[in-house]
Amino acid sequence: MTAAHPTGATASEAGERRAAEERDGAAGTGDTAHVDAVRAALAALDAICDPSAGAVPRRSARDGDAPGAAPRAAGPEPCPPAAPASDGPAPAPARSRSAGSARSRTGSARAEEQRSTAGAATAPLRDRFASGHRAPAPPRRGGDPVKGLLHRHRELCADAVDPLEIAAGLEAHGVTDRTAARYRHRDVFSLAEEMFARTDRTPPNGPAAPVPPGPEEGDDGSRGPGAGPLLRAAAPGAVCALAVVGAEAAGGALRIPVAAAGAAATLLALLLALRSGPLRAGRRATAPARLWTLWLIAYAVCGQGLVDALARGGPQGPPALTPVPLVPLAAAVLPAAWCAHLFAVRSRRRLSLSRGLDAFAAATRPLLLAVSALFTGALGLLLLATGVLVPPGTGLAGAAALGVLLFLARLLAVHGFPGTASAALAAACAVEALAPALLLAGRLPGLEPLARPVEALAGSAGPAAVPVLACTAAALALLARAFALLTRASAHTP
Amino acid sequence: MVTHGGYPYAKGENRLWCERLVHGLARHEFDVYAASSGPEQERSGLLPLPRHARLAATASPWAPPEGGAAPGRRGRRRAAELLAELLRAVCADGGARPDGPAHGADGFAEALYGLAELARTHGGLPAALRSEPALRAVESACRTQGAHRALRDATAADLLRGADALEHALRPLSFDWYRGGALDAADLCHAVSGGPGALPGLVAKRFCGVPLLVTEYGVQVRTHHLAARGDVRAPAVRALLAAFHRRLAREVYTQAALVTSGNAHARRWQEQCGADRTRLRTVHPGLAAERFAAVGEGPEGEERTLVWVGRPGPGKDLVALLHAFAEVRKAEPAARLRLFTTPPQGVRGDGPAAGYLAQCRALAAQLFPDEAEGAHAVGDNPVSFEEIGSPEAPEPADAYAAGCLVVHSSVVEGFPATLVEAMLCGRATVSTDAGAVVEAIGGTGLVVPPRNPRALADACLALLRDPERRARLGAAARARALELFTAEQNLTAFGGLYLELISHSPVRRAAEAVDAAGDPVPFAHPAESRLPGRWSGAGHVPAWASGPDAAPDAKEVHR
Repeated sequence: MTAAHPTGATASEAGERRAAEERDGAAGTGDTAHVDAVRAALAALDAICDPSAGAVPRRSARDGDAPGAAPRAAGPEPCPPAAPASDGPAPAPARSRSAGSARSRTGSARAEEQRSTAGAATAPLRDRFASGHRAPAPPRRGGDPVKGLLHRHRELCADAVDPLEIAAGLEAHGVTDRTAARYRHRDVFSLAEEMFARTDRTPPNGPAAPVPPGPEEGDDGSRGPGAGPLLRAAAPGAVCALAVVGAEAAGGALRIPVAAAGAAATLLALLLALRSGPLRAGRRATAPARLWTLWLIAYAVCGQGLVDALARGGPQGPPALTPVPLVPLAAAVLPAAWCAHLFAVRSRRRLSLSRGLDAFAAATRPLLLAVSALFTGALGLLLLATGVLVPPGTGLAGAAALGVLLFLARLLAVHGFPGTASAALAAACAVEALAPALLLAGRLPGLEPLARPVEALAGSAGPAAVPVLACTAAALALLARAFALLTRASAHTP
Repeated sequence: MVTHGGYPYAKGENRLWCERLVHGLARHEFDVYAASSGPEQERSGLLPLPRHARLAATASPWAPPEGGAAPGRRGRRRAAELLAELLRAVCADGGARPDGPAHGADGFAEALYGLAELARTHGGLPAALRSEPALRAVESACRTQGAHRALRDATAADLLRGADALEHALRPLSFDWYRGGALDAADLCHAVSGGPGALPGLVAKRFCGVPLLVTEYGVQVRTHHLAARGDVRAPAVRALLAAFHRRLAREVYTQAALVTSGNAHARRWQEQCGADRTRLRTVHPGLAAERFAAVGEGPEGEERTLVWVGRPGPGKDLVALLHAFAEVRKAEPAARLRLFTTPPQGVRGDGPAAGYLAQCRALAAQLFPDEAEGAHAVGDNPVSFEEIGSPEAPEPADAYAAGCLVVHSSVVEGFPATLVEAMLCGRATVSTDAGAVVEAIGGTGLVVPPRNPRALADACLALLRDPERRARLGAAARARALELFTAEQNLTAFGGLYLELISHSPVRRAAEAVDAAGDPVPFAHPAESRLPGRWSGAGHVPAWASGPDAAPDAKEVHR
């Protein structure tokens, strides 16, 4: 940054100005060069006491401005040496020395000279300096000037991961290279490096110390996912129960519209519950998964009757509907939301506790199992309660398997694997669709053997065995897959 | 021109400078490629571009990655391998001294360009970088020998966040700017920020041979560290990112044909980060001088009035200024201090600034009671807080015109624009030695150490009592500022750099050398710049140059 020379016609004028400037600078420095000189002498003393800091006195004497409390013309323009002498009026010799030559002097010589020229204006400064008031501490003590700085910026140093970070922080606190020179360093970078190297960075409590939960983990597992999502999650169950009871109560022609309205309302409540809260799958939920889910639910309502009718050689008239299992299924949205929330929160905590991905996977597996068991238990309780209220044998076992399957599928979709979830649901659908299809195919001449396994199954375990078998198999497969997928850390991106 | 979180958006850093550059260099054609820094910035709208510039493309690196084409299994595995290689270079380098030999320098560059290639051919890089294999790669890199200590203690959550942040930083690799007549058709790529903002330039340089010019007014590594200070993220994440940014900065500095900085301070940071000294240029930011011409040429302002102009904040240390002024008042009871605050602009809120200003007002009221001339006159405070844009000072120049001496008390300072404005106004200045103040002021003003009200007061008094010296310093300051810190100077410098780079490293596109039928076009690329010899004609070749070691020298010249 030396390109400041005015050019051409203004050269002599500028030279004159510069010479005047020179005087200004010298006069300005005169005030407190005295202080400078004393400091320099002290620094020299320091160096004598502390042989390890050999280069110091030279440096602080050269820079001259180190702890100065004085106005000075900053970094005097490097000007052509001839300019002041030829163009400007020659100032008094003691003051006309350029800063360069003044700097080359030793501190003590400068002190001698400046003491004679120092004006009355420095008197208060001198007093202050003599009493030790306000003088920056570091250069006055021998030993270790950086120690105080380390203490002042201990947080910065403790947090820093890089010397450059300390350098940036120091600069933000106003430490410049000229300040760094006081600490016997060439620049801020080397000062920062020393500070970085000297900071004790061992964590105060061992590596097993619990990591404080981050801001995004505000609510822990003990608290629920919040009142709003819980209410929304409870809505489908309530609406569905109302609809079923209403449809049962309404007789005759009124029954079908009431049932349709109830189904629509339940569907709406379900969509609302899944759109936010812990069961939200974002944009990742795919349309096929929704289709398969609807198919599975529809099968739970009318599939049993259909298979039963087909196995008996029917159907005669519309198949019998079993809407009762829908009520516990819809009600199970609430425990499902709770379990999904629990899983998300707990696994996130394990994320910040476990060292490494394998440790995380190992810690998450039991959690996944526990959450699945918890949901199965909750669903079982709901089904048992339903079984007490209504006559048994209405496909509650199939509903249990279906509920677990849907829960696992949703959990996978929430954590970014909608494809897997969709595939499992599709497989269950296929098996369920296969049963009536085989029964029908068996009526064709020559294809009777096809229908036999289904007939045998329906005969021995009842028509409800088909969905139980399909959903259980799919749920187990999904659980196995979840063990591999949901224990990945990448499934738990915040 | 490639910008990141800046120019064409109405709210952004470097806005004024870029706008002036694009409008000023009308002989060049600009294609502006802009990446925004957030939704707020995108909503703020775009500035109008001149006729010779067009907004070629925008990108939103902050947005969640679009689903799009998910990479196949092979693509994901390849991405993870490359990421592992990249991070191995980063982590092995993390503990090394910044100026030491660059371990794994090639590994980093190769992996980086490998990722860019993958993004160009397969797409879906963001998804691949968030997948499990990528996470495994991050983990294995953290556990390598020689990695930072904090990295070795990384938890799974740290790994996740680290991978996420890396993916964000590498998002520019996935932009669709590098083919089909976009950046590959440019003659020169000017990246107006370093770090991830210069990644498009790196890719264009690598795959299309477009020379890269990087301008950093705030050094990216430093900005990153300062931003990371307020970060609550775990040390492991910060360590990983710091090492990555440093390594990336070094790669940018290595690949860039020229790196310009705004002041010597920024240049030192660049050197510290491994920039080659010979390719660094300092181009001082320029200010529009004509706004201040009237004041600069006009008479001196009111006697015994000190002026401070700036945006209040703890870094400006107004408290020290007030204390210094108290000292001045003891010696010169008639002195006045007028503080002009510039209204906050840009995306930053004014919450802390307003708080600090209120604090300073309280201090001023405490230090200086209102005074009146006599028992029957209405009193006034010697310290007044005013705002630029108010009737007293509609323009910044009016603020400087109000006083005879401009004081600066900053503790922390980048490039002191207000100081340069004062210089342009021909005012004598007293400033503290912070940031690039000394570099800007040269010898044309008084400089005192920061946090030293007494020294500040002494310097102010010295100038207040000496009008002649004030006039001299002011004239010198104005001459210096007109020479160095005008907008024209900035434009000329960049115009020169553009021409220099374009002429020294012209882009040679294979497509230009053949015509429509596929036959070579004669003289599509002038051969002159490849001649092994001197440009200046067949001169005398000195004896030392004819030896065997003359060849690399010639190559150096004509690269």
